[in-house]
Order: sequence, then structure tokens, then C-alpha cells
Amino acid sequence: MKLIMVKASLLAASIALVGCSSTNETAEAPAASDSKSQYEAALASAEAAVDKAASVGGEWRDIRHKKSKVKYLPSAKKAAEAGDYDKAMKLLEIVQFQAEAGYQQAMDQKNAGPRF
Amino acid sequence: MHKYVSILLAAGLSLGSGSLLATPAEDLEAFKKYYQQRFPGMHDQDLANGPYALDANKRIQWEAMEEFPPYEQFVDKGEEIWNKPFANGKSFASCFGDDPSKVKVKYPHWDSEKAQVVTLEGDINKCLKENGEKPFKWGKGPIAYLSGYFAYQARGQKINIVIPDDPKAQAAYEAGKKFFYAKRGQLNLACADCHVYYSGMFARGNLLSTARGQTTHFPVFRAKWERKSKSGDGLGTLHRRYGGCNSQVRAAPFKAQGEEYRNLEFFHAYMSNGMEINGPGYRE
Repeated sequence: MKLIMVKASLLAASIALVGCSSTNETAEAPAASDSKSQYEAALASAEAAVDKAASVGGEWRDIRHKKSKVKYLPSAKKAAEAGDYDKAMKLLEIVQFQAEAGYQQAMDQKNAGPRF
Repeated sequence: MHKYVSILLAAGLSLGSGSLLATPAEDLEAFKKYYQQRFPGMHDQDLANGPYALDANKRIQWEAMEEFPPYEQFVDKGEEIWNKPFANGKSFASCFGDDPSKVKVKYPHWDSEKAQVVTLEGDINKCLKENGEKPFKWGKGPIAYLSGYFAYQARGQKINIVIPDDPKAQAAYEAGKKFFYAKRGQLNLACADCHVYYSGMFARGNLLSTARGQTTHFPVFRAKWERKSKSGDGLGTLHRRYGGCNSQVRAAPFKAQGEEYRNLEFFHAYMSNGMEINGPGYRE
């Protein structure tokens, strides 16, 4: 009787596990599309920040210039194309920061002149 | 209290705006004076030799290099370009006059009709286009050879850039000046940081030259560019160098012969007024 009880509980547990895993599978599908939509929003924001920095001559080299070895913005796009949204988002964070810093720098230097 | 604040504000405004609103002639005098104080006893014209004016060992190596200058073959190519007729039978002389030694000293200058700074390289390509020829690529190659030939022919003549009494010309000069003094890029460095405030000091293995005297020796033959070139061609224009400098401070460079670099050249060349042309030069 005890053995039957143990088998029954193991079966119940495995059913529960399968249930959980199937629930996870259905949850992962929207998560992937969330990543994509988050990436697209971050990309739009980063590109707008880059355009803003470029409009005042404040763009930094490593965002996308051909002379840069890293080219964060094109690298982010490549990572997203390969489905690696985590990497793409990390790169876009750098782009966003550099673009905003470049814009701020150009604004701060609007009245630059000699210090002697 | 109010009185003290007013005095301090007035003093601050006059100090701050004094440098910004100085005339080009005042800027030049201040520039010359700064270097005279920074490098006492140095002859002004010697600044045209860049780092070789500042370090005896480097100067010995440079003088040895000048015995058989590596730019010579490219100056010869420039002469060939000068003498070669266009398909329509005309030549560069139809645009620049018959005497190649009288060309370099006219640039850069202000074109009041176009309301923009005109550079030698810009006019070389303008001449080609007007005669139905394909323009040269900016930065290096034939444009640097011909520019180098003009510089070689003009050696010994004094730079005499004129900033006309025209608000647009003054604005272009001020834009170039602001560019020169503005920090840019991830390294937050201005042209002036390296070539004014830290001139004579080392950035890694490079001895930083003075901004006064830099435009006298362009186009320049650089060992770095020579190493990058399969053919050993290390000759490049001033705007190529501007792009390289901006890239080194991790700023996105501007286009060669775009408005930013033309205005910068206007200011930069004016700051070398009175110095003799000694291009093309050799640099590390």
C-alpha cells in the first residue's frame, strides 16, 4: 500500500513538473517578443540620441564611425539580427550613454576659447 | 554686498568675453606671446619644425631623414600632375596661373561671393571639375602630391592669411577658433589641449608640437602613414591629419573639406601668420 502511495505521489509530482515546464514554454514565447520590442524601443531611443549629438558635432567615434574597431551601434544591430537581444541591449546602453555625453559635451563647449 | 557682486560679475564678463571677442590680430599676438613664454629663447620660425624644435635627439634623426627626404618622389609626381594637360588641352595653370611658386601662399582665403573659406585642395578639385576631369580623392594620393609640389615651390614665402572685415568671414574664423579650443570625443580633449597647453610634453611616445607653425609644413609625409601604405606613400593633407587627430581623441571625424575643417584651417593657418612655408614636412 505504501509503495502504491509513493508511486502515486511520484506520478503526481512528475505531472506537476510537466505542467510547470509547459507553462514555462508558453511564458517564454511572449518573453522573446518582449525582448524584441524592448530592443526596438532602445534602438529608436539610441538612434535619436546619436542624431541629436551629430547635429551639434558632438558624436563620438566608437558609436558607428568606420575608423572605430568596436562600432557599438552596428554591433548592436548585428547582435539583434542574430537573436542575441541581451548583448544588443548592453551595446545600446553604451550608445545611449555616449550619444548623450557627446551632446552634453558639445553644449558645454559652445563658448570654448583660449585660457591664456 | 551688491556692489561687490557687480564688480565681480563685471570682471568675470570682461575676462571671459575678452578672449572670445578678441580680434584675429589680438588672438595672434596672444598666441605668439604664449609660446615665447612657454619656450623662452626659441626662435619663432623654429616652431615650424614641430617636435624637432623641442627635442635635440629627435632633431638629429629628422635632419638625417631630410638628407634624402622620403617625400621627394611624391613632390616629383606632383610636378608631373602640374605639367600634364587635361583632355581639353588646358592644364592646372589655367586655374592657378603659370607660376606654381605663387599658389600655396594664397591659401586658405575667404571667398566673399560664396561666403566660405577656400582651400588649396578645394580649388585643385574645382579646377579638375571645371575642365571636365574627375576630381581627386581628398586626403592622400594625387591631391597631396600636387599640394606638396605647390608647398615645395613656395618654400621660404611667409604665410599671410587675411581675415577680411566681413561679418561672415569673421564668423568663419570664430567658428574655426571655437573648434580649436573645444574639447571633444570620449577623451575630452581639444586641439588646444595637446598643441597649446601641453605642447612640448609627451603623449605616449609622441612629443606634442606647437599649434603655431603646424600649417607651414603641410601636406606632410608621416612615417605612420607610410607604414600603412603598401606603396610607401606617407604624404597626406592637413584635413587628413585633422580627421586623424579627432579620431585619436575618439570623436567622430568630420568630412575632409567640409565646413568644419575649412573654418578650422582658416583659424589654424592664421595662427601661423608671419612664418615661412617649409612644406612638405616629414613627421613621425
